Amino acid sequence: MKKKNRFMIIVFLTPALIMFFAIFIYPIIRTLIMSAYNVPHVTADVSTWTFVGIDNFKKLLSVNLFRTSLWNLLRIWLFGGLGVMSIALLFAVIINSGIRFRSFFKAVIYMPNIVSAVALATMWLQYVFNNRFGLFTTFFQKVGWETMANIAWLSPEMKFTSLLIAYSFGMVGYHMLIFSSGIERIPKEMYEASTIDGASKPRQFTTITWPLIKGVLKTNIIMWSISSVGFFVWSQLFSTVTADQQTITPMVYLYLQTFGAGNTITERNAGLGAAVGVLLTIFVVVVFIVTNFVIKNDDLEY
Amino acid sequence: MKSITRGKNKSRMKARFNLQKEIRLIPGYAILIFWVVFTFIVLGWVLAASFSTTRDIFTGEAFKFSTGLHFENYEKAWNAQNVSVFFTNSLFYSTISTFLLIVIAAPAAYALSRFKFIANKFIQSGLVAAMGVPVVMIILPLFSLVAGLNILSNDLFIRVLMIFLYTGINVPFAIIFLLSFFANLSHHYEEAAGIDGCSPIKTFWKIMLPLAQPGIITLSVFCFINIWNEYFLSLIFASGNTVKPVAVGLYSMIQSMKYTGDWAGMFASVIIVFLPTFVLYIALHKRIISSITGGGVKG
Repeated sequence: MKKKNRFMIIVFLTPALIMFFAIFIYPIIRTLIMSAYNVPHVTADVSTWTFVGIDNFKKLLSVNLFRTSLWNLLRIWLFGGLGVMSIALLFAVIINSGIRFRSFFKAVIYMPNIVSAVALATMWLQYVFNNRFGLFTTFFQKVGWETMANIAWLSPEMKFTSLLIAYSFGMVGYHMLIFSSGIERIPKEMYEASTIDGASKPRQFTTITWPLIKGVLKTNIIMWSISSVGFFVWSQLFSTVTADQQTITPMVYLYLQTFGAGNTITERNAGLGAAVGVLLTIFVVVVFIVTNFVIKNDDLEY
Repeated sequence: MKSITRGKNKSRMKARFNLQKEIRLIPGYAILIFWVVFTFIVLGWVLAASFSTTRDIFTGEAFKFSTGLHFENYEKAWNAQNVSVFFTNSLFYSTISTFLLIVIAAPAAYALSRFKFIANKFIQSGLVAAMGVPVVMIILPLFSLVAGLNILSNDLFIRVLMIFLYTGINVPFAIIFLLSFFANLSHHYEEAAGIDGCSPIKTFWKIMLPLAQPGIITLSVFCFINIWNEYFLSLIFASGNTVKPVAVGLYSMIQSMKYTGDWAGMFASVIIVFLPTFVLYIALHKRIISSITGGGVKG
């Protein structure tokens, strides 16, 4: 019996592990090594690599365009994150406050997540932000708010804000569902008891809901960081030139640098590309460690 | 069990209509309705524009249909703009990859959830960690590996490669997703099957896999949608005109439409790309949503 099981475990796990090794383990290790070498181009043979230590990272951080891309990513992560988390939490609280049509609201708010980002970004770019017939312009003209109606949403000055609004709109649904799952797990008796004791809704939020959803807040922050790091499609769609300073993110930089779209970046050293990957991974790991350190789960006893 | 109690709560809530309570909830309703109406306006407008003409769109009269419904926008997009090619490609990639993913991930998830062995916990942690690894961390070696094989000029090889990549990249998520479904199944099934002389492997395919069907269906929908919408890998490996999937195809089409000026056709293509995942979502949104809120894993 035992032997039979061992055979079965091996047969059942091998295909998955081969895939996992080929697509995750091997590439991760190789990218790590690459980041410490000068690699003439992506497909260069290992014999042509030269060891440079942490020079790739130093060089990368001295390039203005890359620094801009990193700054954009940080702004997306922080401002977008604050916006998305607040709206998502607000929606989750409303949805669990006893309203009707809960599943309808949930389904509609989550829906942008299943739409291709290219299609979604096109809707925003070609319709909502359009200055001739767009939703924002027409709406603000109708209500007579001229300053808002005159905003050129896709001008270089506004583009980053527009990008952030459009991207965040689609992300709210997922994070709302995560918050909502945390709130659903809080026993209803706690709210009932506090209502009897005369606690107001805002007070219930600060003393019951907020402390008890720390666990899902952590999940949300980590998930938000992972998706921010992969910020790519939206940048590509919102940029009018290659290497658009307003919208470039590290992943776009890597794409331009390593796969040579456009000739803004001339240095073809693929080690730099690998270093971008390593930096982004470090970012996720640091967020993970810091959130785990700051938000402790063990005080959840209910 | 959970769904039964929730259903009870719901019917109880519906039965008691409390006007005072509803009035207190008005601000909440207002906020959610505002968001939902905005979503519907955007979608509705794009749908209307796709049946309209470029001239009507530009004069802000996309909703008026002064010259009737223009189904030819779809026809043009489908035939002249090659949407049919991207669409078939994506359908092919998504369906086959999803199928393979289930065939590979389900046995692995079963083995990990049922049996104690040395590396079990280690493998599970590795899979969870992989879900947080950005794709930029793996793309360069994959590219050099593939370029070294010299297959990027052959359509058939690219298709096989894309299926392999789409499948592999989703393996960690799929296994972690299915773990809990298998863990929740009773051990009695295997014991009974064992007594009847059914081999463990056969027991899995004949008994356990069908029992995990709800999880398998939800996972398939998730992965189908993910693969349908995947952009970066496709851009790197499958940007040729004959092998492009919808996301990359739509992007290049939008770039060219801006110059040809056929806006109605562009919106028609957006709707075509959007439609399959939307239909799946309409049909299965309850499962999708409850699986996100249940597991707290990324979809």
